[in-house]
Amino acid sequence: MQRRSSTYLMSAVAAAVAVAAPFCMPINIATEILIFGVFALATYLLVSVAGLYSFGQAAFFGVGGYVAGYVFAHTALPLAAGLALAAAGAALAALVVGMMSIKRTGIYFMMLTFAFNQMIYYLAYTWRDVTGGEDGLGSIKRPDIEIPGLGTVDLSNHVNFYILAAVVFVAVFAALYQMMHSPLGLVLNAARQNARRTASLGYSVYRAQLLAFVVAGAASGVAGALFAMLYRIMPIDAIAWTNSGNAVFMVIIGGMSSIFGPVIGAAVFIWLQGFFSLIWARWPLLFGIFIILVVLFLKGGVIELFDRARHLIGRRAAQRGAP
Amino acid sequence: MTSLLAAQLLNGLAIGMIYALTAFGLSIIKGLLNVPNFAHGAFYALGAYVCYGAMQAGLSFAPALCAAFLVPALAGAAVERLGVARLMSGPYLYQLLFLFGTALVLEQVIILVWGTVGLSAAAPDWLQGAFDLGFTYLPKYLVFNGVMAALTIAAVWLLIERTRLGSQIRAGIDKREMAQCLGIDVRRLVTAGFALGAGLAGLSGGLVLPLLGASTTMGSDMLSIAFVVLVIGGLGSLYGALAAGVLVGIVQSVSSVFVPSASTVLIYVAMVATIMIRPQGLFGER
Repeated sequence: MQRRSSTYLMSAVAAAVAVAAPFCMPINIATEILIFGVFALATYLLVSVAGLYSFGQAAFFGVGGYVAGYVFAHTALPLAAGLALAAAGAALAALVVGMMSIKRTGIYFMMLTFAFNQMIYYLAYTWRDVTGGEDGLGSIKRPDIEIPGLGTVDLSNHVNFYILAAVVFVAVFAALYQMMHSPLGLVLNAARQNARRTASLGYSVYRAQLLAFVVAGAASGVAGALFAMLYRIMPIDAIAWTNSGNAVFMVIIGGMSSIFGPVIGAAVFIWLQGFFSLIWARWPLLFGIFIILVVLFLKGGVIELFDRARHLIGRRAAQRGAP
Repeated sequence: MTSLLAAQLLNGLAIGMIYALTAFGLSIIKGLLNVPNFAHGAFYALGAYVCYGAMQAGLSFAPALCAAFLVPALAGAAVERLGVARLMSGPYLYQLLFLFGTALVLEQVIILVWGTVGLSAAAPDWLQGAFDLGFTYLPKYLVFNGVMAALTIAAVWLLIERTRLGSQIRAGIDKREMAQCLGIDVRRLVTAGFALGAGLAGLSGGLVLPLLGASTTMGSDMLSIAFVVLVIGGLGSLYGALAAGVLVGIVQSVSSVFVPSASTVLIYVAMVATIMIRPQGLFGER
């Protein structure tokens, strides 16, 4: 059996990445990458670990964003309360959707998550008083954090907000990594490979998968909340099904073989989006072509690219070693 | 009130026929490839815009409708041959993502060619006007719309149930490997089926053009409706989509009389109710 790296070690790597990132790129881009990194990690838990091909994660991202947005725009609740409410709201939505879809397997599950995503989208679209409908939910404030002994931290400062995003990112990373290697994670893994056999061993596949779905929903909700705070507006696009597709794309482009895959995927996605939208207003066209090319020619994602490069270098070195 | 309700009922019936036609195409593709076609909405929108373009170019409505079928069908064949077929061996997540990318590309190509402004085209003269039924007026185009959709569905039904190609398609849906063993070229069959499904979506788009016009959001709107229709009809059933499509059209149209703002959400309520009472869908098998 493969030895697994400890959660502390992996989280330290994630933290190191989070510390190094703002030195390599504009801080707002780094913030966005971490936020979408959380979103991609949640989707990774479902798609790669549990084998639940959810095409509706944007719904929970959106619910979290709207809940946090509403709280921070209309009330004076502290930051932690807003984030907790966002996570709870998204988890509740995920529980309801999960209960109705998880017993259906394969394509049926995927289509149901998609349909529920659209249902929640249209709810947000119609419920103008709360969500702002097509215009989005605006004037979202970033509340100050009161730390006893240290004073207030002003989140409207980009660096402070980045630190908040980084803390949340590392916490979610550590929690999900720990969960993937817990008995629950092993059951999910087993159920992905053979659901019937896992059930016949006495594990409740349904309960494990529902729990994973709820956890992923909550994490997506937290990502949505941070997203709403980052731009101080919650646009309706963030809850649309294309955003669910983006999440799956991030998981695939990064590579499904490692937990760092979705983080790399989020970085690639944010970077591509920024780059493509700079050169052309019709950037989704380029993005679509990029997706098609990746799916056809680089199924293992960026991690496979690393592996290929390593093989190539390894072979070169071997040739030089034995003339 | 009764006249309004009757008018909405007829409206819903006509729109429902369109939903049925589109979802039928999705159902064929799903049956043959066992993959939900995420680009289906884009093919539907492509049909509407091609129909518009053909009429702009001076063609009359009938040939424009043919183009609305043929162009998406050819595009669908290309998408299947160049992408989906190559990804047959891996997990279907890759096919999904490929179709997602295709939908993005098609949507943007439509915007590049026709712009973001919504377009509308009038029905030909002989379809203008309405029949007076006494209690309500029935626009002629609505009748044409429903009849065309019904005729197309009937034609496809004949094709699938009564021809050699159709029996091969059914064999491909039921037992792909067995059909292959019997010497049926399943690869070409799947391409033909995908083209047929995409063509039906395009034809629906063309038929809808004089009714609702063409807009950039029509594709993703229809995609979710077609998915809901398929879930309500039952995934295992090829024809369940037909009844479910009409049902969804009527629900949506009639509910817009009473609660206009909720009519988009209500079809999902219908979907939830269906899967809670009959998890396999109205006509699906367990």
